Amino acid sequence: MSGITGMIVRRLWQLLPVMVVATFVVFSLVYLVPGDPAIIIAGDYATEERIAEIRQIFGFDKPMIVQYGVWLTNVLQGDLGKSLYSGEAVTRLIVDRLPHTMLLAVYGLVIGAAIGIPLGILAATKQGGWADKVITTLVSLGVAVPNFWLGILLVSLLALGWKIFPATGATSFFDNPAEAIYYATLPAVALSTGVVAVLARQVRSALLEVLGSQYIRTLRAKGLSQRSILWKHGLRNVAATMLTITGLQVNRLFSSAVVLEAVFAIPGLGSLISYSALNKDFPVVQGVALFLVVSVILTNLIVDVVSAVLDPRVAAAT
Amino acid sequence: MTKHSQTRMPGLTRRTLLAGSAALGGALMLPAQVRAQAAQPTRGGTLRITMPYNPAAIDPMTGRNLPDFNTLYAIYDALIDFDPDTLELKPGLAKSWNFPDPTTLVLDLNEGIEFHDGTPFNAEAVKFNLDRFINDERSNVKSDLTVVDRVEVTAPNQVTLKLKIPNAGLPAILSNRVGCIISPASIKAAEGGNVDRNPVGTGPFKFVEWRDNDVIRVERNPNYWQDGLPYLDAIEFRIINELNTGARAVTAGEADLALNLAAQQIAVAKRSNDVVAVATPSLVFYTGSFNYAIPPLNDLRVRQAMNYALNREDLNRVLMLGLGEPTSTLFPKNFWATDPETANFYTHDIDKAKSLLAEAGFSGGLDIPTWGWPDQASVQRQELIASQLAEAGIRLKITPVPPAQAMQSFFIEKRGIAMLAPQGGLPDPSQIYERLFAGNALRNAGKVELDGFRPLMDATVNSFEPEARKQAFHQLQRFVIDQALHLPQYTSAGMAIHSPKVKDFKFGLITSPKFHRVWMEA
Repeated sequence: MSGITGMIVRRLWQLLPVMVVATFVVFSLVYLVPGDPAIIIAGDYATEERIAEIRQIFGFDKPMIVQYGVWLTNVLQGDLGKSLYSGEAVTRLIVDRLPHTMLLAVYGLVIGAAIGIPLGILAATKQGGWADKVITTLVSLGVAVPNFWLGILLVSLLALGWKIFPATGATSFFDNPAEAIYYATLPAVALSTGVVAVLARQVRSALLEVLGSQYIRTLRAKGLSQRSILWKHGLRNVAATMLTITGLQVNRLFSSAVVLEAVFAIPGLGSLISYSALNKDFPVVQGVALFLVVSVILTNLIVDVVSAVLDPRVAAAT
Repeated sequence: MTKHSQTRMPGLTRRTLLAGSAALGGALMLPAQVRAQAAQPTRGGTLRITMPYNPAAIDPMTGRNLPDFNTLYAIYDALIDFDPDTLELKPGLAKSWNFPDPTTLVLDLNEGIEFHDGTPFNAEAVKFNLDRFINDERSNVKSDLTVVDRVEVTAPNQVTLKLKIPNAGLPAILSNRVGCIISPASIKAAEGGNVDRNPVGTGPFKFVEWRDNDVIRVERNPNYWQDGLPYLDAIEFRIINELNTGARAVTAGEADLALNLAAQQIAVAKRSNDVVAVATPSLVFYTGSFNYAIPPLNDLRVRQAMNYALNREDLNRVLMLGLGEPTSTLFPKNFWATDPETANFYTHDIDKAKSLLAEAGFSGGLDIPTWGWPDQASVQRQELIASQLAEAGIRLKITPVPPAQAMQSFFIEKRGIAMLAPQGGLPDPSQIYERLFAGNALRNAGKVELDGFRPLMDATVNSFEPEARKQAFHQLQRFVIDQALHLPQYTSAGMAIHSPKVKDFKFGLITSPKFHRVWMEA
């Protein structure tokens, strides 16, 4: 296990510079897009004097690097700051909204994996057959269909038409898990199509590669059944691929959630970051970006640790 | 000077008379029992609202945008109330007001009113609030009260405002943000006096909860000073940024009322029998701001040519789906300050536009670098306006950028010579004229005040008799039109959809709904 422990330590050590670089890039992007948050804060009643006053109060008149330095110093002391507009603590905003986005991402991932992986296996084992062709076609469709469009279609059919699911909103998973899952079903289904498509494709091609390899041919020559070859040897060897691809989907799900949360009026992190970025609410954008960077890095780390457990060669290589 | 000197006649037109007669006729045809039912509001119920904007604050001093009023008037009463359809002023927290002389405004307050925290509302509370609006570092509303020299408590329930200069528009301004009175005790108890998220007013509903950009909840104020009101037990404001999603929540029965929608959602809702679509006149209007300090827009003929080149009827039909009003001025035709004679002064006349341009030396046409907003509806509007102006040889070179950037680039950095954006929504008509065309106004990009503007502007705030004030506005309107100081296109509308169960909802001219009298059918 020392190889894995070393890997974890190395990865965590790498976390710090990545966080600084990523948040600096995000800060620069938000800062460099023209438009002055002081004008938004001054609002309909803006006068030039009031705008100048707000710039001074919030420190917008200071150079960018100084503003970033102030933010970073506060973060290192555990303070993510407050929203420029609402005055709400950024930490609280993230904590309030995270459960909605997490539920959506996990639910979408579970649906995606539950459908995508079996489809990939089926397509690989029936290579060239009608099942393979149908699955490959559906998968291409799954990649091509935009999540938000599918979301609106699902709402029209299942919420406005048949009234089976709610059209908008979300409930906290911690308050009422059953209702939270019920509310999250349509957006999670819309979110999962991309995951289904990617997983089915990747599993199919990885499995085909494994099933075509020499040691599988040797197993066949030894007289092992197809079923045994597939389950004991084939799938075990694509497990690492499945895990890596599934891990990568987490990043994808967070980005897709931005649009789907708008379609379904879910008060999650996606809607928070898009609303804040549009309004140049630096502290909120920075805080959420920092959180997402850490989440993605930790997800990748977990995937690597599990991969290393499955295959010790991975730990040595990373 | 008269008491309630702002009493105004609502615009009574043939259309409103006919509509009124039709409604009356329709009502008389109903059986008596049904009429009685229809007229009788019932108590109870939670009104579930969706709205696209998260207020910056539920403190009238630090909030900043018109849609904040969706929640402000639920929690706060203003010193002076108004009729939502006409903006005619009515008693509010102040039972009466008068100008004993042009620089003194006396407000007599209602007695026995309490804030939600049980502390008394009185003249001291009003003075505390007005002083805070004027002096607090965080105040966004100082510009509303620049005319106020000092606020005096002249009796336990009387406040006197001493003004630096006369301002007949002040009572209307006191019906807006700076008239909303907050419990002084709550401000004193709050850290740094910050009650952005902990509002305590005297209004019909008490604040319960605000989850940022998610939901705001208020509940009935059982000790409300207006007997029997409000009818609703509670209101839940869900913040849904995406307009179609907000409207869909009503269609799906998950909300009762969707506010601040656009024409497209109204058009869709009108096709449904399950919801009621509302689109009422609004003081928000779409226009193009000019920098008329520099060529080529310092030439009156060029500005007039642009105004003649627009086909406002087509713009309203295509962009507002006919729900607004084509206009050459700042307000709907029936608004008291509008002169209907000149409200549609500029008619679509490409030949005239071309000849004016030729006179100005631009017979080959000219380029106008213009700022616009980047959302889909704004881009559509910009494209249509640009194509209309192109017929006369005026080539708009539009750069779509977010609103704050457009404001900064055009009004502050003075780049470009025009900007297309909506304006308006203020309670007193003098405010928008001042904010768009005064020499020191932020929204006057060139910072030039044309000769003749100031005396006309001053007349609108120096005239205390309603008819004289109205005439002053008519003259000011004519001046702005003659000088073609901007490129007005059409007025917007207060657009909402609601369930048929929701009764007596009015968005009103400044799209600042009051929920005192809204009720839900069981």
